[in-house]
Amino acid sequence: MDDSALVERAVGTRDVAAFSQLARLHQSKVRGLLLRLTRGNHAAADDLAQETFLEAWRGIANFRGESSFSTWLYRITYSRFLMQARKRKPDEQLGDWQETTPSGESATQARIDLERAFAKLSPPESAALTMCFALGLSNTEAAAAMDIPLGTLKSHVLRGREKLKAILGDP
Amino acid sequence: MNDTDLDTLLSEPLPERDAADFSVALMEAITQHEARPARILSWISAGVMLVVIVAACLFGASSFGQGDLGAHSLAIPAMLTFLACLLSYVVLQSVRE
Repeated sequence: MDDSALVERAVGTRDVAAFSQLARLHQSKVRGLLLRLTRGNHAAADDLAQETFLEAWRGIANFRGESSFSTWLYRITYSRFLMQARKRKPDEQLGDWQETTPSGESATQARIDLERAFAKLSPPESAALTMCFALGLSNTEAAAAMDIPLGTLKSHVLRGREKLKAILGDP
Repeated sequence: MNDTDLDTLLSEPLPERDAADFSVALMEAITQHEARPARILSWISAGVMLVVIVAACLFGASSFGQGDLGAHSLAIPAMLTFLACLLSYVVLQSVRE
């Protein structure tokens, strides 16, 4: 069953099972995006992911289908992250990438280096690059998900790429 | 690192995360969220019921010894008993939900 049929069921009859299926389909990408934004903090990323899906469940009746369900979900994800980041005290800044990758997950050295480099980017740069590349969103979709103009998104992508190239090219 | 290598690395999908534990925790959170209005209603009902019982006790105490059990005097305890039964039913329904 595709997203739109599941969304229809979740909206029409408040079908928790349909929403649960939607959550299962999208949880990995949402948690992955948040893991990058929280610089490898698995606990913080999963807490935010749960809040994201809870907010999505509360507000699913407002989903008009103007964008894809995943874009709408990433929009909630990013705004949740920003809200949490604003609440954080100045001395509670996120540090470097945390080595909390579970032993079961295999990670190549190149990926570890990439994640460490991502930790040095600003949240908008990190989100823009992740949405446009790893999550496969178009620039327009990513701009909508981040609630920023298209030009701003492009400059975040450009700046982020330059920073990554500099960090990864300079071991 | 050149542009092509970086693009390839960036385009790699994010690592797949196991859904099992996360889905269970999420469903628990949704169930708790859905049960919230019923819980609030049951607390309000319990509070009102307490007031009704106190009022019934006060009425009983004030009319004790007066020896006047006419139709008007019976209307108030009957109404209080009805309210207590109604609120008990509401609380029971909320707890069941």
